[in-house]
Amino acid sequence: MAGARWPTLVLFGPAVAWLALATAGSAAALLDGDDWGPPARRDATVAGADACRRCHLPQWRSWHDSYHRTMTQPTAAPGFEPAAPFAGERLAALGFVATLSRDGDGRPHVRVVPEAGDDAGGTPLLDARVELAVGSHRVQQYVARLDRGGGEGELWRLPLAWHIGEARWIHLNTAFLAPDGEPGSEADFMRHLSRYNDNCLFCHNTEPNPGLAADGRWHSAVGQWGIACEACHGPAAAHVQRHDAPLRRVWSALGDDGTVVDPQALAPGLATDVCGRCHGQRIGHDIATILAHGDGFRPGEPLANVSRPILRDATVGDDPQPHFRGRFWPDGSARLSAHEYQALLASPCHQDGAGLQCGDCHAMHGPTPAMQLRSDWDPTRSCTRCHDALALSGATAPAGHGGHGDALDCVACHMPRTSYGLLQGMISHRIGSPDPAAAVGLHDRPDACTQCHVDRSRSWAVASLPALGLPAHAPARAEDPRERWGSRILLDLHGGDPIQRALAVDALARPDAPVDPRVRLSWLLDALVDDYAAVRFMAWVGARALAAESGLDAAVTDALAGFDPEAAVQTRLATWQQLRRALGPGPFDDAPERALELEASRDAVAIWIGE
Amino acid sequence: MRASVGLLALFLGSGLWLEAMIGLRAGGWVDDPLRREFLRLGHAHGGLLALVNLALAWAMTKLQTPDGWARRIRVAAWLGALAVGVGFFGGGLWHGAADPGPLVLIVPAGAMMLVASCVAVAMVR
Repeated sequence: MAGARWPTLVLFGPAVAWLALATAGSAAALLDGDDWGPPARRDATVAGADACRRCHLPQWRSWHDSYHRTMTQPTAAPGFEPAAPFAGERLAALGFVATLSRDGDGRPHVRVVPEAGDDAGGTPLLDARVELAVGSHRVQQYVARLDRGGGEGELWRLPLAWHIGEARWIHLNTAFLAPDGEPGSEADFMRHLSRYNDNCLFCHNTEPNPGLAADGRWHSAVGQWGIACEACHGPAAAHVQRHDAPLRRVWSALGDDGTVVDPQALAPGLATDVCGRCHGQRIGHDIATILAHGDGFRPGEPLANVSRPILRDATVGDDPQPHFRGRFWPDGSARLSAHEYQALLASPCHQDGAGLQCGDCHAMHGPTPAMQLRSDWDPTRSCTRCHDALALSGATAPAGHGGHGDALDCVACHMPRTSYGLLQGMISHRIGSPDPAAAVGLHDRPDACTQCHVDRSRSWAVASLPALGLPAHAPARAEDPRERWGSRILLDLHGGDPIQRALAVDALARPDAPVDPRVRLSWLLDALVDDYAAVRFMAWVGARALAAESGLDAAVTDALAGFDPEAAVQTRLATWQQLRRALGPGPFDDAPERALELEASRDAVAIWIGE
Repeated sequence: MRASVGLLALFLGSGLWLEAMIGLRAGGWVDDPLRREFLRLGHAHGGLLALVNLALAWAMTKLQTPDGWARRIRVAAWLGALAVGVGFFGGGLWHGAADPGPLVLIVPAGAMMLVASCVAVAMVR
C-alpha cells in the first residue's frame, strides 16, 4: 500500500499542492470586496505612465512615440533636449534681439534686449531660464518662471518659438493672425507672453491643476507633464494598486472594475468627449473652481458636466457680447484648429453622440505619430460603412462621383481645409457635402470646389455639377461680380480677412491643385508682402514648394530661400520685386484698380486665437 | 500511447484552426496580441508535450519501468500535457486587458506533472 502511494504522491502531489494554493489565493482575491468594488474616481490619483508600462508595453510604446508624450517637457528632465539648438542663436524682431543660449548647467535660456542697446549693459526685456518646452511636432514653445505678481509658481509662455519644419526661430506674432506690431514697442513684442498656469496647462498635461490660491498666487501641479495614459484613461493609481497582485490580474478577465476607462469601449458621444477635453476649446461651468483645483473631468463622464464647447454665439458670464465670432465662419464652422470637437458635434455623421466618433479615424495606439490615424484607416471605407457609395453617383466606382472618386478621397471635399492653425490650413472636422450654390455671392467660408480648382469661380462650380452627375441647386443669391475677373481664391488672397488669405495661400500651395504650379506661384507671390506675418510665412513655405515643383532656375529659388517673412518691410519688398520680375506680371498687374479694390475690401481684423 | 497520439492529433489540429483565423482575419484574433500569443503557446506546447508523452512511453519500455510507476506516469504525463495546452488556450480565449485568464493557472500544475513524470522515468528502476 505504501509502495502504491509513493508514485502517486511524487507524480501528482506538487500539482495538487499548486492547485490548492492557486484556489486559495484566487478565493482570497475574489472575496476581497475592496478590490472589486467601484473605485472613488473623483479622488483618484495619477500613477504615471511608467506604472502602465509594466503591463501594457505595446500601448506604452505607441504612446511613447507620440507627440502627446512630448506635449510638455520639463527642461530639467533627464535626457531632455529641446528641438531648438539654444547655441547662441539671435532673433531680431520689432526692435529687440533675443539671444537663445544655455545656462551653465546646459538648460535653455532666453534673453531679450532692445536692438539698439548694449547686450551686456542694457536692461533686458526678458532674461529667464526655460523651465518647460511645449510641443514637439510643428512648433516648440518655451515657458519660463516669471513672478509677475502670481508668486514663484507663475509660469509664462515666452513670445518666441522654434518652428520645427523650417528649423528656425519665429516670433510668436508670426504664428498668430494679427498685424506685426510697431518696431520698438515692448507691448507688441510681448503680445504673446501668455501665462501658462491658466492657459496651456489645461490641454498640454495630464490631470492639470492650476492651483490658484485665494491670495492670487499660483501653485500649479500636474499628474504628469504632457498628455500621458491617464489623460484618456483616467487617473490610475487605484488600478495599479489593485492589479499589483498576479492572481487579481488573472481574475480581471471577469470584467472591468471601473478603475480605468477604455475610450474605445465607450459610447461614441462619451468617447468623443475624452478627446474634446483638449481638441475643442471650452468654457468651464465654474471657472473659479477650475482655476483653483482643475476641471474635475473624468474620462467616461460627459464633458458637458464641467464645461460647454465654445460656439459662434457663446458668451461668458454676464457679458452678453459674443466674443468668439471671429473664430467661426458665419455658418458656425470653426475657422481655427483646436475646435475639432465642436466641429464633429455639429456634423450629421456624429448623430448627436450615437454615430461617428474620433476613434473611427484616429487611434492613439496606432503606428504613426503624425495625425495618429488608425492603421486600418481608409477615408473611403470610413464613409461607406454608413453611406451607400453606389447611391452617391458611384462615389467609389471608376470615374464615379463625376470622376472625383478616382483622384480624391472623401475627406478632400467633405472635410475641406477651412481652418487655420500653427501656420497651416487644416481640414474641417465638420463633415458635410460641398454645395457651391449655397456659397455663391458670399465672401466668407472657402468652399471645397474652388479651394482645389483655384482658378475658378463658385458659379463655375455650380454650373459644373450636373455634368459630373452630382446634385445641383440653383444659387441662393447673385454671383459676386468680382468673380467674373478673379477666381474665388484670388479674391480671398487679395481681399479676404487674415484667415481667408491664409487659407487661400494654403490652397494655392497644395501639391494636388489642378493648375500649373508656375501660375500658382506667380499668384502666391503677392502674399509675400501681406500685412500679416502668418500669411507671409505660409506663402514663403508654399512658394518654395511650388518653385521646386516647377523646376525654376536658381535665381528664383535662391531669392525665395533668402526671403525672410519676418524681416523689415523694405527688405521684404526688395526681394518681392526681384521675384516678381523673374516670374512675370501678377494676376492684377494689367488692371491694378482691381487689386486696389480688393485690398480696400480687406477685413484687417486681428483674429483672437483663444488659449 | 493511443491517448498520447490522440492528444498529438488534437493539438496539431488546433494549428489548422489558428491558421484559418489568420487567413480569415478573424476579429478577436488578429487584433488581440495577447490572445494570439497564448493560443500559439497552447498549440505549440500541447503538440510538443504530446510528443514528449510518446517519448516517455518509448523510454519506459526501454528502461523497463516498474508497472506500478509506469501506469501512473502515463496518466500524469498525459494529464500534464493536456493541462498545459488547455491552460494556455483557455487563458488566451478568456482573458483580461493585459493578463491571461484564470485557466492559465492549470499550466503550472500540468508542467509539474510532466516534470515529475520525466524525473520518475529517469530515476525509477
